[in-house]
Parts: sequence; structure tokens; C-alpha cells
Amino acid sequence: MSYSLYDWNQSLQQRNEYVEDRLKDGSPVVAVSFDGGILLLSLRPEQQRKVYEIYDRLIMGALGKQSDVESLRIAAIDTAHREGFERSPDDVSVQRLVGFALSPAIKRVYNDQTAIPLTLRVVFAEMNRSADEDHLFVLGYDGEFAGRQRYAVVAGTAYAEQQAEEALAAAAPKTLEEALAAALTAWGTARARLAPRAASDDEEFDPLAADGQDDGSAPKTSDDPAVALREALKDGATVEAALLSRTTPRETKFRVLADSELTAAVAPYR
Amino acid sequence: MPLTPGEGRGDFATLVGWRSNAPDAAPRPAFASPGAISTPGDGLAGTDIHGTTVIAVKYKDGVINVGDRRATGGFAIMYDKAEKILPLDDYTLMAISGSFSKAMEIVRYLRHAFRYYERSQLQPMSLDGKLSELGKVIAGNQMAAMQGIGAVIPVLSTFDRERNEGRIFFYDGGGARFETAEYGAAGSGSTQIRGVFEYISKTRGPFREMDRETALREALTLLEIAADLDAATGGAGKILPVAKTITKDGIEDVDEETLRAVVNDILARDPLASGPNAR
Repeated sequence: MSYSLYDWNQSLQQRNEYVEDRLKDGSPVVAVSFDGGILLLSLRPEQQRKVYEIYDRLIMGALGKQSDVESLRIAAIDTAHREGFERSPDDVSVQRLVGFALSPAIKRVYNDQTAIPLTLRVVFAEMNRSADEDHLFVLGYDGEFAGRQRYAVVAGTAYAEQQAEEALAAAAPKTLEEALAAALTAWGTARARLAPRAASDDEEFDPLAADGQDDGSAPKTSDDPAVALREALKDGATVEAALLSRTTPRETKFRVLADSELTAAVAPYR
Repeated sequence: MPLTPGEGRGDFATLVGWRSNAPDAAPRPAFASPGAISTPGDGLAGTDIHGTTVIAVKYKDGVINVGDRRATGGFAIMYDKAEKILPLDDYTLMAISGSFSKAMEIVRYLRHAFRYYERSQLQPMSLDGKLSELGKVIAGNQMAAMQGIGAVIPVLSTFDRERNEGRIFFYDGGGARFETAEYGAAGSGSTQIRGVFEYISKTRGPFREMDRETALREALTLLEIAADLDAATGGAGKILPVAKTITKDGIEDVDEETLRAVVNDILARDPLASGPNAR
């Protein structure tokens, strides 16, 4: 049996489709850098955590298959701690972690035709002295990664990420309250706008109808972020937000925000 | 799966292949006996740099740790700005005495081990787990310590959030741990002041009922007595000691101003500071 260029191209495309198909329904994760630190926010349908502390000044959030997210998370933690202990915590940087440790490992799996690619999209954030000096990275299932400043979003499609990042660019939050509000809007945007709205064809556009609810009488689809948020919360999703604090005197800069700290920001969507 | 080399149980020692019993030579007599007060250094350790006196006392909101700033090598004062009270996490302080290099390595190891566990396992390591981890490290260090190099005697203070109280633990050279009711001290100056702890708690009431100011004053007075009676312990007159508290809100430094005021007052009350033999 011969293996042509066409076959190769075909198999690559199938792998990509396989992964992207599964990512589409995932809950986006939004990272926002502001004066007081870095906020990572998502909504989770189950009790499973979605945002994680990786190292002293490193956090990560991901969408995708939980088993894949978990193995990447452990790999990131292992690498960061080994480097931090054997050299210095100051030498643990997101740029080195993503670029030289995680990306090559993911790419190896992706290139292996006998393995299933890791189904995930991950955002990493590194806190430094000011929001301008923070580094954010987005890492994909094929090992591709890209640096970001100030904000980054991982979502079901590239279009959704771009839309959400535009929303964050406009918001330019300064305080935690502003960051929470902006991150929620960005999450809603990333959820609601998976693909550009085709002017004539609502049926084609509609990604939310795939969720299987709604009766179909009213105008089912909306690209309004508030609607997406309201529906997610109505379906029982909970907001999960974690903060890397620039200002805390504590040893641990990371903390998961308590429900009471989220109430005000979430209230408009309840 | 090329992504996961670890065993997934949060064991940092396995991850980095860490052993605390580095081979050391230079024979020296075995040190210390188990007890609330231990003396790892006899001042004759040659090249090994030693931290001297550290003290932990309870007070009504938690625990106070104080320590002088001196590190010695044999009879030489090597360093007068040593930090000997080091946070392991948000609620745990390790006050170190004995070999400075080994102690720093242990602190670095434990800081990573506790955090590595918490971050990978998504739950904090239990207090008992942390205490065992330190015990293992000290036990692993025993052979080197018996040979005379790298003996470390720590006092571990923590705020137990389940019981809502401060707790103090000390270790013997084999890694056995003991919980103290009131106070702990370690280092070359600690034996000289042991009786003073008892005297204070019998005459002024237990440390655990004192307010922060009182407990701080008593602890600093104890440290000053250690400095007077032990050649290796630095006095507060020249360089301010370090004092840290642990309460339900975490670890906090006692600010320099408060510290200076208390120290100046203690020094002013020193009977040798006035009279015919005034210094």
C-alpha cells in the first residue's frame, strides 16, 4: 500500500478536525493582566477545576479533554519545580517553560501518527512587576504557541478567541472589579461568537443550537455575550476565577477567589 | 506518554532525586541529645558556618519566632546579617540552628516540596505530612551530622487552622519530632537560657496567654540573655534581631520600629548599664 502526499495531507486534516471538533464545545478561559495582578477566569459546568497554579508566579488555564489537560499541567509543574529547585525560582519563566519544554513535547505527540493528539488549548500567564511586564502565552494542540501582552483567551475557535481579545482590548481594566467584569464579558463573547455571523443564514451560524436545548421558536441564537453568560449560569455552571496577586505580602501569590468576591460581578447575569 | 515523568503523587524528592545525606568527611563528636533545647554546634566546627540562637514562644494569637543575626565559623564571626527564621509556606516558619549551608538547603527543599505537593495534588499537604517531611530530611542527614558536618536542629512553628492555635515542634538529630506546650529554642545559646523559660512561665504566667508585646519582650530578653552567656550569639545592641509572628492571618514581620523600641528598653534596663561598673 502506497502512502501519497495526498494521504498525508488528508490524515493531517483529519487529526486537526478531530481535535477542533472536540474543542469547540469547551468553556473558554480568559486571562487578564491588570495593576493588582493577573486574573484567570472561566465558567465550569462540572466541579472540575479549570485554572491552576503552576509555580510562584505562573498560572495556567485550559480547555479540552480533562485527561490531557491534567498531563500537561503535571508536566508544567514538574518542569517548573525542578528548574526552580535546581537553579533558582527566578529562572522559571513562562517563555522557557512553554517554548522549550511543553511545546516540543506536545508537538512530538501531534506528529506521532499512531497517537491521538492532545486535545487542549492552554493559556499560561507569568506575573512580573507591572502589567506591562507580564507575559502571557497561548499553547495549542499541535505545539504551536504565541506570546500575548495584557490579555489572552483560549476558546473553541480562533475566531472566538479573536473576538474575545478585542473585547478585552477595549476594556483595559485597572482594578480587580474591572478585570472581573471584563473577563466575564470576554468569556461570554468567546462562547457566543464561535464563527462569524453569516448575514443571511442564521441556521449555519448557530453554534449554540448544537447544545440541544431551546425549542426553536424564538430567535435562538445571539452573539450577545450577556446572553451566553446568562444561559451558562442558568444551566448550573459556576464561575471559577483565580488571582495571582502583585500586592499580597503573603508567600503564596495565587489564590482562588471566593464566591463572595464574585457575587457582585456575576449579579448582572443571574 | 512523554509528558508525565512524575509518579503523580506529589513527591518532590522523587522528582528531583533529592537525598539529604550528602557525603561529608571531617569527623567530629556526635552532637545533641533530644530535648526542648539542643546544641548542635560546639563552636569548633572548623569551616562549617553555624547559625546560633533561635527562639519560638507561643502567645495568645499564635507563635513568635526571634533569632539573632549571627553566623559563626569556629571562633570567627562569619556574618552578622544571617536570616535564621525562614517561612516554608504561609503558615509555617522554620527557625534554624546548626550548619547554615545544610539548613538553607533543607529550607529550599521543603519550600519546594510543600508547594509541589499542593500544586500538583490540588490540596495542601497536611500539617502531619509537613512535619514528617522535615523529619525524613533530618533523619537522612543523620550520618553526615554524626560525622560532624551538616548537623541541623530546627524549631518548626505553625498556625494550626483547624485547631485555631499556634503550635511549636522540635526535632532531635534522628528526625524524631516533639511538640512543645509553650516554647522551643535551638542553637548554641539555647542551653544557657533553658531555665529562664521556666522561670518566666512560672512567675509571669504561661506564654500562650501573653499578648504580642509581652511575648515579644520576653522572647527578646531571652535572646539577649543568650547573647550575654554564649560567645556565639550576637547581641541586639549592635544588630537588631529578627522577629516574626504567625497568626490566623499568616506570617508577619515585627516591624523594625517596634523591635528597636523593645530592644532599646531591654538594654536600658540592663543592670550593667548603670552603676559603678556601667558599660
